[in-house]
Amino acid sequence: VTRRTPRPAGAGRADLTRPPRLAEWILRRALPGGDSGDSVLGDLIEEWHARGGTYAAAISFWRQTLSIAVRYRSRRTRPDALALPDGRTTRIGLDNIRQDVRYAVRSYAKAPSFALTILVTLALGIGASTAIFSMVNGILLRPLPLPEPERLVFVNEVGPTGTGVSVSWPNYLDWRARARSFDGLASSRTDLLTLTGVETPQRLEARRVSGNFLRVLGVTPTLGRGFEDADDRAGAEPVVVLSDEFWRARFGGDGSVVGRLLTLDGRPHRVAGVLPPGFRYIRPYALFVSMSPHADAIYTRERSDHAGHFVVGRLKAGVAIDAAAAELRGIAADLQRDYPGSNTGISVAMQPLASRVVADVRLTLVVLMGAVGCLLLISCVNVANLLVARGAARQHELAVRAALGGSRLRLVSQLLVESTIVSAAGGAAGLAAAWWLVRVLVAVAPPGTPRLDEVRLDGVAVVFALAATTICGVAFGAFPAFLASRMTGQETVVRGPRGGASAPSHRLRRGLMVVEVAVALVLLAGAGLMARTLRELMRVDTGFRGDHVLTLRASLVGPQWPQARRRLFFEHVRSGVAAIPGVRAAAVVSRLPTDGSDWSTPFISADMPVPERRDLPFAAITMPGPGYFDAIGTRVVRGRAFTSADTEDSAAVAMVNESLARRIWPGGDAIGKRVKWGWPESPGAWREVVGIAADVKYEGVAEPTPLQVYIPITQETPRDIAVVVNTTGPPSTAQGEAERVIHAFDPDVPVYSVRTTDEMLAASMARERMAMMILTVFAAVALTLASIGLYGVVAHGVTERTHEIGVRMALGAEASHVVGLVLWQGLSMAVIGAAIGVGVALAMARWIQALLFGVTATDPATFGAVVAALLAVAAVACYIPAWRATRVDPSSALRAE
Amino acid sequence: MAPAYLGEFEQLLLLAILRLGSNACGLEIARELDARAGRAISRGALYTSLDRLEDKGLLRWKVAAGTPERRNLPRRQYAVTPAGLAALRASRDTLLRMWRGLDDVLKEPSR
Repeated sequence: VTRRTPRPAGAGRADLTRPPRLAEWILRRALPGGDSGDSVLGDLIEEWHARGGTYAAAISFWRQTLSIAVRYRSRRTRPDALALPDGRTTRIGLDNIRQDVRYAVRSYAKAPSFALTILVTLALGIGASTAIFSMVNGILLRPLPLPEPERLVFVNEVGPTGTGVSVSWPNYLDWRARARSFDGLASSRTDLLTLTGVETPQRLEARRVSGNFLRVLGVTPTLGRGFEDADDRAGAEPVVVLSDEFWRARFGGDGSVVGRLLTLDGRPHRVAGVLPPGFRYIRPYALFVSMSPHADAIYTRERSDHAGHFVVGRLKAGVAIDAAAAELRGIAADLQRDYPGSNTGISVAMQPLASRVVADVRLTLVVLMGAVGCLLLISCVNVANLLVARGAARQHELAVRAALGGSRLRLVSQLLVESTIVSAAGGAAGLAAAWWLVRVLVAVAPPGTPRLDEVRLDGVAVVFALAATTICGVAFGAFPAFLASRMTGQETVVRGPRGGASAPSHRLRRGLMVVEVAVALVLLAGAGLMARTLRELMRVDTGFRGDHVLTLRASLVGPQWPQARRRLFFEHVRSGVAAIPGVRAAAVVSRLPTDGSDWSTPFISADMPVPERRDLPFAAITMPGPGYFDAIGTRVVRGRAFTSADTEDSAAVAMVNESLARRIWPGGDAIGKRVKWGWPESPGAWREVVGIAADVKYEGVAEPTPLQVYIPITQETPRDIAVVVNTTGPPSTAQGEAERVIHAFDPDVPVYSVRTTDEMLAASMARERMAMMILTVFAAVALTLASIGLYGVVAHGVTERTHEIGVRMALGAEASHVVGLVLWQGLSMAVIGAAIGVGVALAMARWIQALLFGVTATDPATFGAVVAALLAVAAVACYIPAWRATRVDPSSALRAE
Repeated sequence: MAPAYLGEFEQLLLLAILRLGSNACGLEIARELDARAGRAISRGALYTSLDRLEDKGLLRWKVAAGTPERRNLPRRQYAVTPAGLAALRASRDTLLRMWRGLDDVLKEPSR
């Protein structure tokens, strides 16, 4: 046999110098490394040379290359699964894993929709959960940025009725002298200070602190010095320590500011130092000021005066918080005996400082964390569902391999590698989504949320996400392999390659679906309840206009603002702002609706016996100027509103709100009654009630209306005031002119917190709005994932039952019957899931109750609507494959067998 | 230990190696099979089969230096191991036992 077909030189030569490059490249990749691979390549090259490097030689080279590529590939993949008799390849080596990875990537590339679905599901679930976890971690879990924060405690006193009150200064001094559990106890309170003597006067939130405050917290100024105990004493020069933010914003980070004088509330304060960046005490304060200006204040001597000071302590190393609290309670009991007049019923409460810092947002975050857990659970269930479905489709393959001796370990490892790859890819995509979501969440968080600037996607969150994905992949990736290795050879043969999934995997998928639907329902219920809450909040009659009203705040602090000048200022601002074109009405007032609680004061009525001290009614006091009720849109129900005729010289008068009138004079008439504010024994004017105003939500929209008393601003002359501007056009247009009117009287008056009433309302609902937004997004995602999952399970069921359906149709089954059959198969899962979900949601009701308003956590209407919506979506998801089932052509379904 | 069972193609490969002696490299084995047994064999089948026989311990190889026409790539020089010889012997014995007494039946028709 002669195969050589020599050709004349030069004829048909492709390239004399070497065999086809591409073929050679393929060969190198297909062949093993080392001498054995090289020798094969050498043989082929030698043969190519021997054939004269012709086209024929090249074609032959290609043919042999392909035969080698095919043989070597199959030789390398097959024997592992088939397990050679000597069993050498059943170990799991690095090579095997590399092989599994390549195999997995190839098989995903062949069916990208599967991998993509898992990827998107995980990206959604992990992204959202990691982002929220980062939030919760930053705000709730991560220790305060202070040294040994776990030793810091927050202490307040507890009044006779069990409510927390601030700590009286003399009591604080006694604690400090007697307590042994602490390295230090510091007292501080919030003061609003006016910075003047600068270009733009400014109202600043400052913390007035005892001299040991920074030492107790463990903070050292980056510039200058902190406070000393000497700074507490009367006569010491007032000093101020600046926050880093304020220092940079106001002084551009100029180091020479230390030692300079700042005028705060009209008194010069020496700048002692600048605090490190990021330092916080509960809230971001611009300034920290010494006690000395207050050292002579009555409250520092009067034990019954709880003047807004709260105490922070640093526990001695090794002292438990309970022991320290017990010691302070003991001291408080001693003080009760020593000073029965002021201290009767006064006790102490202590908590870790970290928990005090986040007390207001904890509930929201816990609910969000629950929602996040639900979402992550749904994502995992969905991925599990997909993996189990895929495993079911491959069960025959796996069972054959197991029957032929493929070791269980080897099968499991391959499936694990496959599911780990998608989980890891999903984790990466999820992290990217989380990185983006954290930014969005920080942007939409209600202003004033503590520690917001500390929120970032951090290492803990990354570990959390990776753990979530890994668990997800490991738990469900291996399941099909276990099923396969349990299957007997006989089962495999009987079922055949088209035998469909086994009963256990069907049961597992249906079980997973039920879980998914249940979790989706819980989220939907939460979102529904929050939506109802927001709607109820918006329907609340706030008692004032939500549109066309602008408010500005100003303060008149310091010796340059005696009473008479303040009265002049009030009148100047009222008439000046009212004269601005486009302004319908203007007024001054001491505080604005939704401001939150101000001091309440007890009061007595002249026509009734004085009640016991503990039964005294308390009312909040607001001081409006003339025209206030008109400007803010509060109805005067009876009697009259204050006018310009109510001056410091005219009769002492008052107005009350409807709640107070009803409570004190039920069935009677409040007008003309005489009342007095303050403790019964204290001196004070008896005032005649001249009008009743409609209830206004001063404490916030969701809060109950307080008993409310109005006193003419001219008769009390507060220093912190607000200007209310009622405009005909857009309210913000009046801002510039209004500020000019104020500064025309005195350019040193700080104007701040300029907001419309609309913005005030929105801000007071910000927490509920954020909770609703996030729950709604989560619920939508959950519902989408659940319906996709339902669709998948039902569609898969239809595919597997094509033959059965074909037979039914051939035997004359109605299309509607087939639809009903398939529909019920899916809907039964939805119904069971919904029932479980309702149960879980009801059990979790008490967690969310505190966030709700105007609706109970077990509201039947909400639950009814949510269940109906869920079942409707589920029905659509199940109807599509059911409808497709009726398209089955009986003859082709039967032939397929 | 019982000698390994050999398939027909494996027998041909081992026999070719024995015939070629010190000349038994991949290319020559292919030529020998082609010339003597009339088997045109794909290189993929050739080399994987040789590897399999090596895995079973029936043959071994050593590296010989390459020549310029094979870009100095090494050459594998194959040799049959004692186990390979034993396996061949066992195969031959089996076949001979089976052939014995069948000469009449299988005798080619006389011309």
